Amino acid sequence: MIKKVMCLLVLSTLILTSCGYNKSAENTPVEKQEFHMGTIITEKVYGAQAQIAADEAMKRIKQIEDLMTINVPGSEIGRLNEEAGKNEVKLSEESIYVIETSKKFAELSDGSFDVTVGPLVKTWGIFTEHPRVPSKEEIKSLLSLVGYKDLSIDSKKLTAKLARPRQIADLGGIAKGYAGDAAIEVYKDYGINSAFINLGGNVVVLGGKPDGSPWKIGVQNPRAENGKYVGILSVKDKAVVSSGDYERYFEKDGVRYHHIIDPKTGYPSNSDLIGTTIVADKSIEADALSTATFILGLDKGMKLIESLDGVDAVFISKDKKVYVTKGLKDVFAFNDESGEYQYVEKR
Amino acid sequence: MLKKGDIILVGIIVLGILMGFGWNRFNASNDTGNIAVIKQNDRVIKRINLDTINKPEKVEILGDYKEVVLVEKGRIRFEDADCPDKVCVKTGWLSNKGDIAVCLPNKAMIKIEGESERLDGVAY
Repeated sequence: MIKKVMCLLVLSTLILTSCGYNKSAENTPVEKQEFHMGTIITEKVYGAQAQIAADEAMKRIKQIEDLMTINVPGSEIGRLNEEAGKNEVKLSEESIYVIETSKKFAELSDGSFDVTVGPLVKTWGIFTEHPRVPSKEEIKSLLSLVGYKDLSIDSKKLTAKLARPRQIADLGGIAKGYAGDAAIEVYKDYGINSAFINLGGNVVVLGGKPDGSPWKIGVQNPRAENGKYVGILSVKDKAVVSSGDYERYFEKDGVRYHHIIDPKTGYPSNSDLIGTTIVADKSIEADALSTATFILGLDKGMKLIESLDGVDAVFISKDKKVYVTKGLKDVFAFNDESGEYQYVEKR
Repeated sequence: MLKKGDIILVGIIVLGILMGFGWNRFNASNDTGNIAVIKQNDRVIKRINLDTINKPEKVEILGDYKEVVLVEKGRIRFEDADCPDKVCVKTGWLSNKGDIAVCLPNKAMIKIEGESERLDGVAY
């Protein structure tokens, strides 16, 4: 009798302490922050192999950056641009995939998302230290170089070509999206079930939190400090990507110029939206669509999102109204600390 | 049936279990103080326990640009920077676990360690 009691007690002690130990190990994420792709990347990874998974995901992102950047000479996309109007360029499978996807969304958005906007992005210099407002003539002349149809792809031979000299493909609006998906694949390879990654505002989550609850992702208030939000999305296994006029901008003669150039006008997009947030299964799609809808504006953007399966959106308009698509009604909790926004549940 | 020694032993084991529980719980909710970390180029420049700051302190970050971090009791911020966009300064005060402010051009960041209870992150 006594022995039994003792055995039970000893056993239960072992079980309880080991449970406690396991629990705290699994509930403490590996957190990592590094600067890549011109932004800051934050990871939060849970599980036995969290450390190596987080390290390898960062390496993967760096790899993708090296393939697709146009800020450093010698990258694949850099060569594609150098050979514009001349030769087909052999590319990696992933660059081909990203270019193909970018073309798909260019078609879907009727050219509002277009990676061949490169010459204009370059002349505005928005991502450099010396942004400037180009002359009307300059913009007009560069606009003639924009056109996703000039970007031809041979997915069998793994080659691509820009039709005319001086054309520039700039994957800045989609490469981070692809990198987010790639990071999630790395986590999966290491048996991770629960992870969060934020690539300069592009959030992608694997599974839910370790306790099974959804991740809580804030939607940035476009007119407040970084980190202030207008509402919270509760998601599992999703990408949440925003675009807005507040992300990067410069001021000249009292006018604010933001970084999202409308491929049709050559000027920073001037639709009725100041912020868009896309919720989708893949972050490459969410990335392209957040830019596309930001440029398209509320009505056309809403129509585009509603025409796609498994994609939802939060739109914030200039008159400070917050719109969500039907699929987000139970996912998005309007929570505006500033009190300046109005929630429009259904249009 | 039970000897005195057995009862004491059982008592000790029970106490041990309870203490184990207590310890785990204590560890889980280790809420003693917000620790701020100042990093640049993925290296830690300084760690500061914000709750033990009595007089405001300034920390300079050098590099491509110069930045001044201001530390007060319970909070921290980029006070000044000569970088072009000053996003770091515009981020304002950080005072909650998980808060973060970043200067991309200077690859510098300040962060309060731990996880926010309200939010896992913000899409921007």
